[in-house]
Amino acid sequence: MASLVKALLVEDARVDALVLSAMLHRFHCEVTIAKNGKEAVDMFFEGKKFDIVLCDNDMPIMNGPEAVEKIRAMGETDVKIIGLSSDKNVQEVFMTAGVDVFFPKPLKIDVLGAMIQEVINKKRNSMV
Amino acid sequence: MDYSNLRRQAASMKKGLFDQGLLDEQFRQVEDLQDEASPNFVEEVVVVFFKDSCRLISNLEQALEKYPRDFNRWDAYMQQLKGSCSSIGASRMKNECMLFRDNCGKGNVEGCMGCLQKLKREHAILRQKLESYFQLLRQAGPAGAATRPVM
Repeated sequence: MASLVKALLVEDARVDALVLSAMLHRFHCEVTIAKNGKEAVDMFFEGKKFDIVLCDNDMPIMNGPEAVEKIRAMGETDVKIIGLSSDKNVQEVFMTAGVDVFFPKPLKIDVLGAMIQEVINKKRNSMV
Repeated sequence: MDYSNLRRQAASMKKGLFDQGLLDEQFRQVEDLQDEASPNFVEEVVVVFFKDSCRLISNLEQALEKYPRDFNRWDAYMQQLKGSCSSIGASRMKNECMLFRDNCGKGNVEGCMGCLQKLKREHAILRQKLESYFQLLRQAGPAGAATRPVM
């Protein structure tokens, strides 16, 4: 099946990357992984396009909120960005940086499914 | 070989892991991600978890020695480990991580040291039990199952 959604997973923890990646594949997403915020920002800088970004908070070189701020500053306002962290206290930081929504880890698959369906619906509506 | 009996033993072993509080619902979420395209997904995730958790515990032990009373640093290491524990449903380990972080918040060195020892015990227990579980699953599985990854 052709992938409907291009997903960027910004995550340095290998366990989390494996699990979240598998979840995204379950929804037939085309998954790209960035190991830190800088890699993610560089991908956007290179002109890569994504429909949805799942972004962890605490990463080496560049953390999640900083990466999100830079991505939004590039004019990438359409891409749905989900902030993720096992630390609920960072929700406000993520929201200020410009995520659309924050979820505490571990992310539930039905929650991710709902987010992806929103992205799919938005893409379909934009094609009408 | 009686494969159905082995599968029953494996199911019973897994139930025990949940009943003893070693694993929580998140482990079932990980299991649900296993399919024909990724038939060994759960074991692969668990292998990565134990590789990473061994490294994180080692880093933390070095930090406890090298940076005495540096509770922010200790907490940062434990935050990483807690995150991984949450991701696979390693419930008792996660609880020890949280207690360690509480002790960091209180500036309680002895409390941190005690929690770390408990965490290492829980880590060893979970590792041994999951190794046994996956070994049993491999015996019970179909012929031609993927080779055993090194834990």
